[in-house]
Amino acid sequence: MTADAPRPPAPAHRLPLRWRVMDRIEAVAAALWPAAFRRATPWAFLAPALLLVGILLIGLGYVISDSLHELNPATYRLREEYSLGNYAAFLDRPVYLLVLWRSLLAAVLVTAITLVFAFPYAYVMVRTRSGALRKLLLVSLFLPFFIGQVVRAYGWLIILGKQGLINQALEGLGLPAATLIYTYPAVIFGLVQYMLPFAVLMLAPALTAIHEEVELASESLGADWLRTFRHIVIPMAKPGLVGASVVVFTLTLTDFAMPEILGGGTNDFIASTIYDMFFQLSNPGLASALAAVLVAVGSLIVALVFRVAGTGTLGLRSGS
Amino acid sequence: MTDLTRLALPRRRFLQGSAAAAAVLAAPGILRAQEKPAELIVRAWGGAWGDALKEGVGDPFTAATGIPVRYDFTEDNEIKPKIWAAVDQGRIPPIHVNWDTTTNATISALRGVTVDLSDLSNLEGLLPLAKPVGLDGYPIVNTYAYVYVCAYRPEAFPDGAPTSWNVLIDPKFRGRIALYDDGIGFNPISVIAGGGTVADIPGNMQPGWDFYEKLRINEPLLGEDADFTNWFQNGEIDVACTISVNARAAKQNGIDVAWTVPQEGCKVDTDGLWIPKGLPTNEEYWAKEFVNFALSREAQEKWCSALGLPPVFPGIEPPADLAGDPSYPTTEADFAKLVSIPSPVLVENQPIWFEKFNEIFQG
Repeated sequence: MTADAPRPPAPAHRLPLRWRVMDRIEAVAAALWPAAFRRATPWAFLAPALLLVGILLIGLGYVISDSLHELNPATYRLREEYSLGNYAAFLDRPVYLLVLWRSLLAAVLVTAITLVFAFPYAYVMVRTRSGALRKLLLVSLFLPFFIGQVVRAYGWLIILGKQGLINQALEGLGLPAATLIYTYPAVIFGLVQYMLPFAVLMLAPALTAIHEEVELASESLGADWLRTFRHIVIPMAKPGLVGASVVVFTLTLTDFAMPEILGGGTNDFIASTIYDMFFQLSNPGLASALAAVLVAVGSLIVALVFRVAGTGTLGLRSGS
Repeated sequence: MTDLTRLALPRRRFLQGSAAAAAVLAAPGILRAQEKPAELIVRAWGGAWGDALKEGVGDPFTAATGIPVRYDFTEDNEIKPKIWAAVDQGRIPPIHVNWDTTTNATISALRGVTVDLSDLSNLEGLLPLAKPVGLDGYPIVNTYAYVYVCAYRPEAFPDGAPTSWNVLIDPKFRGRIALYDDGIGFNPISVIAGGGTVADIPGNMQPGWDFYEKLRINEPLLGEDADFTNWFQNGEIDVACTISVNARAAKQNGIDVAWTVPQEGCKVDTDGLWIPKGLPTNEEYWAKEFVNFALSREAQEKWCSALGLPPVFPGIEPPADLAGDPSYPTTEADFAKLVSIPSPVLVENQPIWFEKFNEIFQG
């Protein structure tokens, strides 16, 4: 047979159903999104996220704008003229600075304590050879997500209350009842318990990325487990640690429910104060100023962390 | 010359005819204005409060008109900006009737979002308490008075009820006392308990702030209505400043709670009903009918008896368990023993007092 000879017709056969469905989908996609639009494809995927961020920015714009108008108590409307009065009120009243400081301190404490607990949890979950243990740790990790923050806080009231389980046990042992709730440590405790799964979820991918052989190599070169952990695991897990820190820090800084429920009304965070200004005192100007300060302080700290330690698992490339 | 006597009759006939024609032409509009809505949404407080409104006003109103009443238990402070935004943006407000504190309602009236209720037929003959102070007309109508009593656990007071608010600064009760988290209900009393007088309010609140400084050392819990019930039920507190309704409801539910009016007195205040602007005409009409019904003797008797509060309809006997109770004022002499601060003073000073309260207790 020569090269020019016509080829025999291909035998007729039906393509698998899945292929045909995919072909149809591709045809519809090509009709809806022609090849000329391909350069815009990444933007199309980004569009929903950009829309959400855009809405957020518009909201933030309104917040900043409202923060520049003082309340007229005669009409309970914001005055027309621009003013820095709400920011001056924030600086004049020590209570606002104190509550902001309390929120920041809590964010730092909760982040540090949570990482201490989350790291070994994530490490064991990633490294264990026992499938049963891994499943148990995963289930224990995800179970709290099905229980809302408010319900969990009320759960702590039942356990830590003056007539709660712990105090009943103390009473049974002939010991005096302890004050375990409506205190700052109680709020920190509740927040750590709430943040733990977030931190583990941020740490696990970073730990998975560290090949076990690297640790073995370190140990084979004479390093004990502690030195390997300190000089190999921790530095290599830095992206996860940074990501977890930022997530836990920002969530704690803006938390509302735990301080409200476990704080007994005397351990408010800045979010509670913003709520009070907005809803109880009907002063959206001052509430917006406090919110703007919170956003600015939180953003500055996170930017500083990114600058010093990189964006961690939150970034596309380490160190970017 | 025109004969006026002849013209008089045709003119009268003309006028009668015109009136009849106008009535015929206007009838669809009037009928539309009275067209019943599918439901009325009334914002209310939950628990014993909501039950009392349903039993005393909502259910009888539905029985009389056929209009179902739905209750919206959004917190009073949270519904306020939603209504304000709806009115400002020309949207239909999320509720038809707002059951609100007089102070909050006064703020909404100042904002200009309330419908004038001056034309309600049942306003006539009500106690002067029904009329909001410092406002023109009836942008809100007060429906009853209530008292922030000293509620206590009798077991913690074997020698009898506390006689003074100084019990709140007694170290014996450290960590076992409670106040509202915005100082509402106690700010004026703190002035008297701190050695001042009613005349000091609002000009000189320092005695009150001094009293709060001492109270802070006693580690109070700060919360809302529902918290007080929980705290008493769980044995977390022994004494609290709370509305008598909460204490009475807790007692009716088997919680060991009693209440008293200490020698310094208790703050007496009012709640009211108001209708937001911007409702369709027929819905506003029936919302007004609802408020009007709530002011009738029948509704006031049932509603306020269930709450255990003195109504604005005169001559209604108190519930048997509250006869002679100082937290159920009915006469001028009863009210004189309590501390009443006019709403305009509260509206003007509440933000200042709240900030100071926060400064002390968050410090």
